Amino acid sequence: MTTTGTMTSTRSLSYIALFAAVIAVFGLIPKIDLPFGVPITLQSLGIMLVGCLLGPKRAFYTIGLFLVAVALGLPLLSGGRGGLGVFVAPSAGFLLGWWVGAVVCGLCMRQFMRRMPDAKGKGLLIAAFLSSVIGGILAMYFFGILGLMLAAHLTLVQASLAVLAFVPGDLVKCVVCAILVQSVVRGMPAWRLDRD
Amino acid sequence: MRSLYSTRRTWLHGVPAWTKLAALSAGGTALMLTGALAQLAVAAAIVLALFLSLGPAGWRQWRMLRGLFVACALIAGFHWLAGDPAVGVVSALRIMAASMLALMLTITTRFDDLLAVLETILSPLRRFGVPVERIALGIGLTLRFAENFYGQWQRLDDAHRARTGRGGGLRLLAPLAIRALQTAERVADALAARLGG
Repeated sequence: MTTTGTMTSTRSLSYIALFAAVIAVFGLIPKIDLPFGVPITLQSLGIMLVGCLLGPKRAFYTIGLFLVAVALGLPLLSGGRGGLGVFVAPSAGFLLGWWVGAVVCGLCMRQFMRRMPDAKGKGLLIAAFLSSVIGGILAMYFFGILGLMLAAHLTLVQASLAVLAFVPGDLVKCVVCAILVQSVVRGMPAWRLDRD
Repeated sequence: MRSLYSTRRTWLHGVPAWTKLAALSAGGTALMLTGALAQLAVAAAIVLALFLSLGPAGWRQWRMLRGLFVACALIAGFHWLAGDPAVGVVSALRIMAASMLALMLTITTRFDDLLAVLETILSPLRRFGVPVERIALGIGLTLRFAENFYGQWQRLDDAHRARTGRGGGLRLLAPLAIRALQTAERVADALAARLGG
C-alpha cells in the first residue's frame, strides 16, 4: 500500500473528492425518523464521519472542496440548496462550523488513536463518539450560534435556545458516527486512523 | 446533478461573472452596513423588483427562498414578541435581500465562469502550495461519484425495502461508507496511473 504523500498527491485528491461526494449524498438522503419520532438530516453526520475517518488535513480539504462546490452553484446541501446565498442565510454559521468541526473531529480522533492504535472495540467507539461530540457538536454549534447571533441580531442566550432542539438529534448522530467508524475499521482493516 | 444555473436566458446572463460578483459584494456590504428600516425596505423592494425582472428563470426557484422566508418570518416574529419588532424586520429584510441577490447571481452565472474567477483569485496562493488546478478536477470527481453513490444507496434501500417492507435508514450508511472508501482507493490508483504522483 503506497504512502499518502502530500495533499497534492492524486491519492489524497481521490479521497477528498469522493468523501465530498459522500457528504453530498448524505444531503440527498431524505430525513430519517428516529424511533422516538425525531427526524434527523444526515449531512452533519457526514461531516463527523469525514473528520473521524480522514484525519484533520484531509477533512479540511474535503469540507473546503464541498463548500466551494456549493458556492459555485451546485445544490449539494440538504433540500437541494446551493449557491452563494446559503452563505448569507441565518444558518450560514453552521457551514463554517462544519468546516472547523470536521477538522476538530479529526484532531481529536488522531490523538485518541495514537494512544491506542489497535483499538477496534469499545475504545474505538468511545474515541469516535467523543471526537464527534467535540467536533460535531461543540465546535459546530459554536460557529452556528455565532452566525445566528450576527444574522438575526439575537443574544447568545436567544440563539442558543433557538438551536437547542437540534442537539438531541445531533447527539444521536455522534453515536451513529461512532458505530459507523467501527464498522468501517472492521470492514477495511488496513485503513489507519492515527495518521494525517 | 445539475447546477442551479438556468439555461433560460435573462438580461443578467450576459453580464460577466466578475461584474456580478463585484456587484454582489458591494450590494451585500451595503445591506450589512444599513441599519435604518426605511432604507432597507427600499433596498429590499429594489432587489425584489430586480429578481422578478429575471422572469420565469427567477421565480421558478422560489423553493430555494421558501425555507429562508420561513426562517426570516420566525426571526421577525421572535423580535416582535421580545418587544423590538424593528430589529426583527431589519434582520429579515437584510437576509432576504442579500439572499435574493446571491440567488440572482447563481441562476445567471455558469459554474465554469465562477470556477474561472475562483482560480484567478486563488492563483497567488499557488506559490504557497495550494493546489488550485486540482479544484476543478476535484469537483468533477465529486459530482461524478455523488451520482454513483446515491445510486448505490438507492439500490441498498430498495433491497432492504423488498426484504423488510421499510426503508433501510441508518443501517445502510456503513456499507455506503465502506464502498466509498474502496471506490476512493480504486480511483486513486487509476488517477495515479494517468496523472502520476
